[in-house]
Amino acid sequence: MFQGLSALIKGMLTTGREMLSPPVTYQYPEIKKPVPPRFRGRHELKRHPDGLEKCIGCSLCAAACPADAIYVKPAANTDAERYSPGERYAASYEINLLRCIFCGFCEEACPTGAIVLEHDYELAYYDRRSAIITKEQLLVAPPESDMSTPRAAADPGNLYAAIPPVKGGIEPVNIVEMAKSK
Amino acid sequence: MPQVTIDGQTINVPAGTLVVEATKPLGTHIPVFCYHPKLQPVGMCRMCLVEVGTPKLDPATRQPVLDEQGNAVINWMPKMQTGCTTVVSEGMAVRTKTPAVAEARRSILEFLLTSHPLDCPICDKGGECPLQDHTLNYGPGNSRFYVQSKFHNEKVVPLSPLIMLDRERCIQCARCIRFQSEIAGEPVLGFADRGRGLEIVTLDEPPFNSNYSGNTIDICPVGALTSRDFRFTARVFELNDHPSVCQQCSGGCNIYIGARDNDIKRITPRQNEAVNEIWISDKCRFVHHYATAPERLTTPLIRAESDLKPVSWYEALNFIANRVRPVLGEGGGKTIAGLAGDRVSNEDLYLFQKLFRDVLGSDNLDHRVGWSLWNAGQELVKHFGAGIGTNLGELTKNTTILVLGADPQNEQPVMRLRLSKAAGQGANLIVANGRVTKLAAYAKQSLVYKYGAEAYFLWGIVRSVVDADAAKTKRVRGADDLVQNLTLSVAACAEKAGVSAATLQAVGKAFAASENGIVLFGRELMFAMQDDPAVQAALEALVLLSGHFGKQDNGVIGLYPHNNSMGAVDMGVLPDSGPGREPTRNVGLSARDMGLKAKVLYVVAADPATQDPKFRNPGFLIVQDLFLTETAQKADVVLPAASWAERDGTFTNTERRVQYFARALTPKQNARADWEIIRDIALHLGAQWKYDSASDVMNEITKTVPQYAKMEHARLRVTARRRSSVQTVGGDSPEPVLIALGELYGETSGVQWPSSSETNEDAEFEVQFAAPKEDTPAADPYLAVTRSLMDRGSLIQYSEIVQPRIPAAVVEINSHDAEEWNIADGDRVKLTLDTKPPRVLELPAHVDGQVPQGVLAVANNLDGTMNLPMGARAKVEKVN
Repeated sequence: MFQGLSALIKGMLTTGREMLSPPVTYQYPEIKKPVPPRFRGRHELKRHPDGLEKCIGCSLCAAACPADAIYVKPAANTDAERYSPGERYAASYEINLLRCIFCGFCEEACPTGAIVLEHDYELAYYDRRSAIITKEQLLVAPPESDMSTPRAAADPGNLYAAIPPVKGGIEPVNIVEMAKSK
Repeated sequence: MPQVTIDGQTINVPAGTLVVEATKPLGTHIPVFCYHPKLQPVGMCRMCLVEVGTPKLDPATRQPVLDEQGNAVINWMPKMQTGCTTVVSEGMAVRTKTPAVAEARRSILEFLLTSHPLDCPICDKGGECPLQDHTLNYGPGNSRFYVQSKFHNEKVVPLSPLIMLDRERCIQCARCIRFQSEIAGEPVLGFADRGRGLEIVTLDEPPFNSNYSGNTIDICPVGALTSRDFRFTARVFELNDHPSVCQQCSGGCNIYIGARDNDIKRITPRQNEAVNEIWISDKCRFVHHYATAPERLTTPLIRAESDLKPVSWYEALNFIANRVRPVLGEGGGKTIAGLAGDRVSNEDLYLFQKLFRDVLGSDNLDHRVGWSLWNAGQELVKHFGAGIGTNLGELTKNTTILVLGADPQNEQPVMRLRLSKAAGQGANLIVANGRVTKLAAYAKQSLVYKYGAEAYFLWGIVRSVVDADAAKTKRVRGADDLVQNLTLSVAACAEKAGVSAATLQAVGKAFAASENGIVLFGRELMFAMQDDPAVQAALEALVLLSGHFGKQDNGVIGLYPHNNSMGAVDMGVLPDSGPGREPTRNVGLSARDMGLKAKVLYVVAADPATQDPKFRNPGFLIVQDLFLTETAQKADVVLPAASWAERDGTFTNTERRVQYFARALTPKQNARADWEIIRDIALHLGAQWKYDSASDVMNEITKTVPQYAKMEHARLRVTARRRSSVQTVGGDSPEPVLIALGELYGETSGVQWPSSSETNEDAEFEVQFAAPKEDTPAADPYLAVTRSLMDRGSLIQYSEIVQPRIPAAVVEINSHDAEEWNIADGDRVKLTLDTKPPRVLELPAHVDGQVPQGVLAVANNLDGTMNLPMGARAKVEKVN
């Protein structure tokens, strides 16, 4: 009997503890659960601090995509209508989210860090067509309202640096200094 | 054959082979940048450095010294050698996989990358770039340089309307410069400055104005030269390359259609050593936009009260059947006529003639409109066409090539490359025309005869063959009669033709004495053939009496205008000859008479209204085309055809090679392939035809056209790998070796049909003398009509990119004449032609040494010069 009673008390203690502890469920959608920092949600196309698009329309994301979910149509920048640094930009950029498997290969393939899988996970649609998201939906807002693209080039004729000089933190090495220290 | 040891494996290669080529059969590829198998080696990039050694020889006996194991002792050269300039020698040893070689490659790549921008993601070459590949395979892996400290240079330099140059990416291999000077023969590119400042410049005005400029894009080993047409439209790895055949001239160059999103993004050459090697002309590469132009017809139209309104296929076909049936009942097929352009495929043309001959009971069909009106000499091609296996690019010194009245530079551009290549290999190239053409620069002998005296010129050569006792009479009937009737002396012919008797004798002797002989005749000689039957008789006599027919590297090649001019004759789209070039019992109306006598006219892929201002709708006009042409605007029914890229089929090129082209795109909306439309019309008229595909039609052609036997699509599609002269020890190499680098384009395909002298080795042919037409002397200069490659044709207008390359019309005048008429270069000149009614042209004069005295040359396919009559006499006045 004591055995049964102690088990009952044990059980009720658990119940009582759980009654008093804060709930683990959320009142979704009123309250949204924070996601881990490296969560892979819906894609975004980022901009440089000056508002130019990071995407240069190179299609490497599309080439890396195992689900063939990305379509990129490139075009050439002009001085009058500059979208991105360098010669080339994405005239059209579409992702089919029904195909996407959120593997993040596109992010890895991107030479400019333009495409990033962000934290938006609310990806439900009423029809298949709206699951294909376009460049307008993907592109983040410019840092300032007057920094949107396309815009006239601030540095006409400069078509260099399509790819940012340092990605992943390779520091310049001064060979002369190195030789001296040896 | 010297025996070489490469990385321990021995191989026998022909003497003279370069080390880079000798290693290929063993599967060892030495990376290269400046070396290209089609160009002379220069050893500029140093990428191909390998260790090379020669056997140590005993000074006394000159025998190789052997070590204890009995192997030859190798004297390794103290420094590495460039594989692309080192020729193999007996006993040579090569090491390509040692650490020293790897280090050399790594160093060269690192050096090249110091000034290379590494913007591969936005470079159109990325994905098919040798520099990318070599860096991946042999490169250092990471950079010791901070990217921003790299050398920078100009990036977007428009080298020409067609080509963009990026000076940063250039690695100064000079492939483009060497291609232009060695192969194209138009040295318009060069290096300027030196060291870091070395850059590619064009020495031409307008810049880089060469018909072959696009090939430099393909052979550039980096993304320095890129196509402005393809620029930033897709990455190369996103394209689907569909094997096809070019539609722009009769050469039949093999191409790939690079398609994406049901659109042609670019055209690249497909390797076919028997047709175009790895080259195509700029017309072939850039004039493809018509196939996908938004102006294309997309649905059938029928005339309802004066307007053309869109209808369904069912309505359109019923409309045709209802209108044609009563006409058929009244006068049989006598009043129904058909005109098919010679740009559509063999399958279309075959069904077209079958529709007329079998279903409508009419022989009123023709393909000769516009320039094709001049097609002549088809009999010569049928009987003495150049033997199977003839490869113009491989002819050497035992062959004489006689090019008559042709301008391949502007009419069959890639054939020009192959003829100049043959001349460079020692073939005896003799070029004769009424004016000087670009090809003449490569000729061993260049002759300029008088226009109108072609028959005298040819009889003069025949006479000199006879006089030199070089005439061969095997398989020839009537040779003795000919000799008797040919009373013209060489001197008399020479005088009439405006050349020296000694030249005619030399040509006759060289041609008859040569082991092999090929005659190419072009548009200007075809005009003479139509004008004077004696020209054809003389040419036939020349071919027969010299014995140059019925075998490989011998015979005639007619340079016809369009991609399927040959097939149109083979399929029998002529009023007097049926499939297989057999004469028909009844002779129908030819294209000239159709407008007058026909009541119903069916026009496929032709635009007679632009050629003939008097063209009118004869009662009921059906037009089937890509666009709403001038003829289509007059039509009662307009049917939308699919372009060549949207369907499959075969074309027969001017060397009688039947080649298959695959479908690359899906047809626009309601457009259908020509053969499909013709079949549907026949079905609506009650025929019991069962063709489900173009290959079904071809299967029937193989049975009804004897020349096309065994040419089913499946067989034409098979690509044969060409054997290289490089072979391994102990017989043939297991895997044939293609002489090409990382950029392999494809392989040889297509089948030539045999001429009648080749199929029947005992057939005899008759020669007959025909007296040349007496020339009526005229005071005014002769108008020679030429062609420009980039023209104002109906299809080129949809390619915006080539518009700046279309030249303005000029009249070429001899400098002596110009002096006499007081005309300077660039003056405006008024020409009054003696046509009825007289036609007046006003053009700038171009005074140069290309035309002889008494001749004016005008290209008849440019602005304001359409449809000029060849051989008219023109009064010249200077306009002030």
